[in-house]
Amino acid sequence: MAVTQHIAGQGAQPDAAEPPLAAERERNFWKWLLSLPALLILIFAASGPLLIVVVYSILTPAEYGGVVWEISGRAWFQVFFRRDIFDPDEVTLNWSHLSVFWRSVSLAFQTTVICAILGFPTAWFISTRPPGQREIWLLLITIPFWTNLVIRTFAIQEVIRNQGVVNSLLMNLNIIHSPIQMMYTDFAILIGMAYVFLPLMVLPVFAAMDKLDVRLLEAGYDLYASRWEVLRRIVFPLVRPGFIAGSILVFIPSIGSYVTPRLLGGGRNMMLSNLIELQFGQGRNWPLGAALALALLVIVLVALVFYLRTIGGDEEKRHG
Amino acid sequence: MADTTGRAASATNEIEIKRLSKVFWQGDAAFRALDEVTIGIRSGEFFTLLGPSGCGKTTLLRLIAGFEQPSAGEVIINGRQVAGLGPNARPVNTVFQNYALFPHMTVADNIGFGLRMLGKSAAVVRETTGRMLELVRMEAMAARKPSEISGGQQQRVALARALAPQPRVLLLDEPLSALDLKLRKEMQSELKRLQTETGITFVFVTHDQHEALTMSDRIAVMSGGRILQSGSPADIYNHPAERFVADFIGDTNFLDVEIVAVNGRAADVRLPGGGTRRASLPEGLSPSAGTNVTIVIRPEHASITDEAADFEGTVEDAVFFGTDTHVHLRLPGESRFTLRRQNTGAGAVALPEGSRVGVRVAEGGIQVLRN
Repeated sequence: MAVTQHIAGQGAQPDAAEPPLAAERERNFWKWLLSLPALLILIFAASGPLLIVVVYSILTPAEYGGVVWEISGRAWFQVFFRRDIFDPDEVTLNWSHLSVFWRSVSLAFQTTVICAILGFPTAWFISTRPPGQREIWLLLITIPFWTNLVIRTFAIQEVIRNQGVVNSLLMNLNIIHSPIQMMYTDFAILIGMAYVFLPLMVLPVFAAMDKLDVRLLEAGYDLYASRWEVLRRIVFPLVRPGFIAGSILVFIPSIGSYVTPRLLGGGRNMMLSNLIELQFGQGRNWPLGAALALALLVIVLVALVFYLRTIGGDEEKRHG
Repeated sequence: MADTTGRAASATNEIEIKRLSKVFWQGDAAFRALDEVTIGIRSGEFFTLLGPSGCGKTTLLRLIAGFEQPSAGEVIINGRQVAGLGPNARPVNTVFQNYALFPHMTVADNIGFGLRMLGKSAAVVRETTGRMLELVRMEAMAARKPSEISGGQQQRVALARALAPQPRVLLLDEPLSALDLKLRKEMQSELKRLQTETGITFVFVTHDQHEALTMSDRIAVMSGGRILQSGSPADIYNHPAERFVADFIGDTNFLDVEIVAVNGRAADVRLPGGGTRRASLPEGLSPSAGTNVTIVIRPEHASITDEAADFEGTVEDAVFFGTDTHVHLRLPGESRFTLRRQNTGAGAVALPEGSRVGVRVAEGGIQVLRN
């Protein structure tokens, strides 16, 4: 493996004494043997299904689900375009699909931003607690993870539905006279996702803050920086890695979210996962489902590369 | 306080500390880190707070800097009450124990930080940063990150960063403790040079008596949240007023003696051999004749003599140290006494174990302690 060789090479350089070849070989053998189970799982449980999806996306749908082994580009065509029912030669963009793409990307992005905005003060609060209390707060943050996602989503429903906590309260206080429709909107999905994924932002940001030396903040204040300047010029740059990790951890599951849009968005406010599920279920168009799934994968990869490029480039500029 | 070097100079005091206290609460338990400290620090002097860890010296520094707010008392900087002001509103800058350089900024950006926060123009920032780099001889490292330079270099950058905004007072919190001995010696003279060149008041915190003695204009010795004594290094060394001060700074002989007569700021004390000698009294102590006090005699203030000995002792051993020899004596009444003999090279007399020798204390070498 490239990494192993690199490390071994570095270690060998300074003292120039090469380790005996046989011993080296034996160590490598054991390394391989020990990583074998993980490799097998990666090959058969991750790469295998992915390959099947790729193959299915270029086959023809069978009438009652499944595929016919006949190569076709129709599924990929359908991802973006549609033909008029009466005039097959008239091709238009498939807005119903594209709006689902847009909703997924947009909601995932908004979720990430909301989690970052809420996560920062939360992480700050926890990291400034005395050592004994910190663990308790971290535990409280992770408690939602112990609860089933469906149950947590139903709990949100209870809060935002027309006869829910928020609307009842506002109506009883005579602030509003008819309930605000929150259920089955993009807003509901956003709240649900932000609630579910917030800990994934808080934990890495907290980890970065925990490493932050308080004396750096004191040095900042001492050198005439205001609170805001200390935050902007010292805290933010130093907890960036935490934000980057948190953003990735929130964005990826958000864009592929299934349960939350299903329960809070209703049937109409679909996200990509719901659309994909539809193709494998009622739609009986497995190749389209496969193509949509791959499109989702591509979006995530492109977003990731774009994100890391921007951040990385920025880093280069500041540090170079 | 026992400041014998003139207190009339309060008009030129850069910093006035008045009955300053700081109490830290740990649950229900109170820890009095600073206990009614009063001291004046003069403009342009190198002032050292010296004491063991936990004596309150760093707390005092942090109260001056504004990182902590006092429980009681006042801090006055340049004639202005600074109660309630944050560190960013005080004309003081700090050099931290572990430098606290901003790891994501270059050396030059670190040094320019304070100036940028003060809203100075880019040209001024660049010009001053350049001058500071030159002052601490770090021009070649301007573009490096703190992680890419050595500990001694980080120290210089921390100094330059704190000096760049031209504060009235520079606070230094054990800045040399992380350096190895050789580098520390180098930085000691470097610090002294910077202080002389800039004319800025330095308040320096250390637990190292040698650092304090060699660098300071004045020293305040602290223990248990109080300043026990302040004065010039020679004053503190030659005339310690309290047992703790005498013990903490230099090697010391303590002897319990009787006051024979009091004469103004001096007293005659009866030494173990029976003879009486003149001793200095600490400020605030006027014992009456007949009371028992403890006196301090520094080992180098005593010498072996054949005639006019103050007292006699039996040699226990003599340890050769190169430039001098430490002679350990047993005095009548089982007390111990150490004296230091300069090795002049000219036929040093051998001192066999068990031999009896006479000891003469130099004029002005006896100091009475307050406790």
